[in-house]
Amino acid sequence: MIHFRVECPAHVWLKRLRPDQAPGKIMVVSVKVEGLSAFLEAVEKHKGKTIFALFTGSHDAQGKSWCPDCVSADPVVEECVKGAPEDAVFITCSVGDRATWKDQTNDFRTHDKLKLTSVPTLMRWGTPQRLMEEDCAKSNLVSMLFEED
Amino acid sequence: MPPVTANGADLKAAIQKYIADNKVMMFSKSYCPFCKKIKDLFNSLNLTYTALELDQIENGGDLQNALHELSGQKTVPNVYIKQEHIGGCDDTLKLHADAKLLPMVSESTTTYDYDLIVIGGGSGGLAASKEAGKLGKKVLVCDFVKPSPIGTTWGLGGTCVNVGCIPKKLMHQAALLGHSIDDSRKFGWEVSEGVKHNWNTMKDAIQGHIGSLNWGYRVALRDKDVKYENAYAEFVDPHTIKTVNRRGKENTATAERFLVAVGMRPRYPDIPGAKEYGITSDDLFSLPYCPGKTLVVGASYVALECAGFLRGVGLDTTVMVRSILLRGFDQQMAEKVGEYMEKGGMKFIRGCVPTKVERLEEGQPGKLRVTGVQDGKEVVWEGNTILFGIGRDAVTEGIHLEKAGVKFNTKNGKVYGNDEEQTNQPHIYAIGDVLEGKLELTPVAIQAGRLLAQRLYGGAKAKTDYVNVPTTVFTPLEYGACGLSEEDAIAKYGEDNIEVYHSNFMPLEWTVPGYDPNDCYAKVICNRQDNERVVGFHVLGPNAGEITQGYGAAMKCGMTKAQLDTTIGIHPTNAEIFTTLDITKGSGEDPTKTGC
Repeated sequence: MIHFRVECPAHVWLKRLRPDQAPGKIMVVSVKVEGLSAFLEAVEKHKGKTIFALFTGSHDAQGKSWCPDCVSADPVVEECVKGAPEDAVFITCSVGDRATWKDQTNDFRTHDKLKLTSVPTLMRWGTPQRLMEEDCAKSNLVSMLFEED
Repeated sequence: MPPVTANGADLKAAIQKYIADNKVMMFSKSYCPFCKKIKDLFNSLNLTYTALELDQIENGGDLQNALHELSGQKTVPNVYIKQEHIGGCDDTLKLHADAKLLPMVSESTTTYDYDLIVIGGGSGGLAASKEAGKLGKKVLVCDFVKPSPIGTTWGLGGTCVNVGCIPKKLMHQAALLGHSIDDSRKFGWEVSEGVKHNWNTMKDAIQGHIGSLNWGYRVALRDKDVKYENAYAEFVDPHTIKTVNRRGKENTATAERFLVAVGMRPRYPDIPGAKEYGITSDDLFSLPYCPGKTLVVGASYVALECAGFLRGVGLDTTVMVRSILLRGFDQQMAEKVGEYMEKGGMKFIRGCVPTKVERLEEGQPGKLRVTGVQDGKEVVWEGNTILFGIGRDAVTEGIHLEKAGVKFNTKNGKVYGNDEEQTNQPHIYAIGDVLEGKLELTPVAIQAGRLLAQRLYGGAKAKTDYVNVPTTVFTPLEYGACGLSEEDAIAKYGEDNIEVYHSNFMPLEWTVPGYDPNDCYAKVICNRQDNERVVGFHVLGPNAGEITQGYGAAMKCGMTKAQLDTTIGIHPTNAEIFTTLDITKGSGEDPTKTGC
């Protein structure tokens, strides 16, 4: 897997999946960010493309997530994102640790374009299409979000 | 045996699962001689059946109660065949004596792609398909919006969500807020005088909400494994439909049963320029520009609601009315609705119909000239937008009901159904606006869809009750009604047999801004032959919808005038007026308020 750092000041990583993961198909660009400002920068950078975003609980030093629904969503989302349109960008955004997220005044909850109420939240950016909590682990729903507009 | 499940709702679901999972299902008691008789019958016929012995499970009594609620039958044996409730011992024996038992059980030789195909993804179709999906059935919903003449189209959910109840109530709210801004100055808010309304801000916010509802429906269908196709469906034969999607791709699908829930679309008058330059409620809520000076043609509730909020957001609005306002509604109330609108600056051209629409200038909005005829004289209106609200037609024309052998009213396209929403073709049903002679209301369609699916697939018996359905017209001053109009009550019971109690009232909130104390009005119509039972409830005032809903429940319980009188009001509210109605229309006493 080729990892390379983007010229973004925040911890923005850009990952390209190997072509052999879906023969003959250009894969979705996958981006990982942490925090709201990094997320908004990533959105700005990919303006004009179809953007999907997954807001998820962050992992601790041991790589464990505090959010069980996020953990069960991960493999489903990872599988279904393969069906996304070719020009799509998939941004995974970590919303921080449990205490940060539970703070009702946190940016993700209050930002006008997000107004998140739960993690995980998976959305097609700029549309009302979003899935929350255990719905993010249902492959029939997740694939609908990625594949049909 | 262990208990089947814990609480009442779950018990019913458990029973429904038994009924759904077993072709011949019998609820029984091991010692019951009648049950034994039926078991012997089934055995002699070599029928495979499932018997749940209620005396051998821990909560058999609760289960029997739940079964009673579901089937209307208290005793055992309680027999279901292919999810159809047969009844008890005698009923089952009779079925066999009539030689109907075996044919009913025998496997049908045809297999279909779906158990149920629903044509139309509006309130009714979605409710039915979700319920059927929940009961384990294989369901397909076909929904397709043919663009309006000016090209407006929308997503899943039907009229209510996209071009009806939802956007109109929100635009009504926009209008009420404007009114509140004026009031607020009297209450001390120093709001500047130059406050303006922005159409596109309102439209975008409302469309955003609608988009999330469209998505929510798709999620709900997918979650219940109901297949959704954004394609136009038409019958090919009684068990087959052809679908065409927006790319022109054709498909066919078969089903054991069908539900026609295609709804209605606005009607255009047959005059030059109507379709070219006119819009309807199908277009208004997503109009990408402020409609400007508008002529609303028609006096249906759709017309008056649209005119009401357009005026309310500050537009010069005129309503062109052929004859009466709100046909089908109580005419005294309808006239009061109109009077209040007129006070709010609405212009009415009564006794007038349009004869042509011409475009003077292109633009968003452009400029139009509408010519009409009033008492044989020509009337000319010039402005930006003409909106037709002259009625709606069932959109059954293209779905080829005749190929399925379904009878429908050739005048209005509506489908004939019995009290179980079944058409003349026993496997084809119809619900919602498309059903002839029934109410055109979203909650009615939802109830009909849910109950129909529960009857077809959940062993339930309950039918939709189309009587005493409350409703509200969201005109600037809202009009809520439940039961009969005064005209209908007189026709049904005779003038001498009804008593009408009425009163004007003034919302407390209106005192400070100093509005007319007699704009709001309350009326109940009672049947003197039946203990003064309330057969008609009418209210004109702010939040009439909220008032009417509660009294609607009371009317379902058979509320009488005496019971209204013993009810204690909530002070200070508008709804409390109904607990103190003591002036009858017959007395000729003045029901108006003359100040304290």
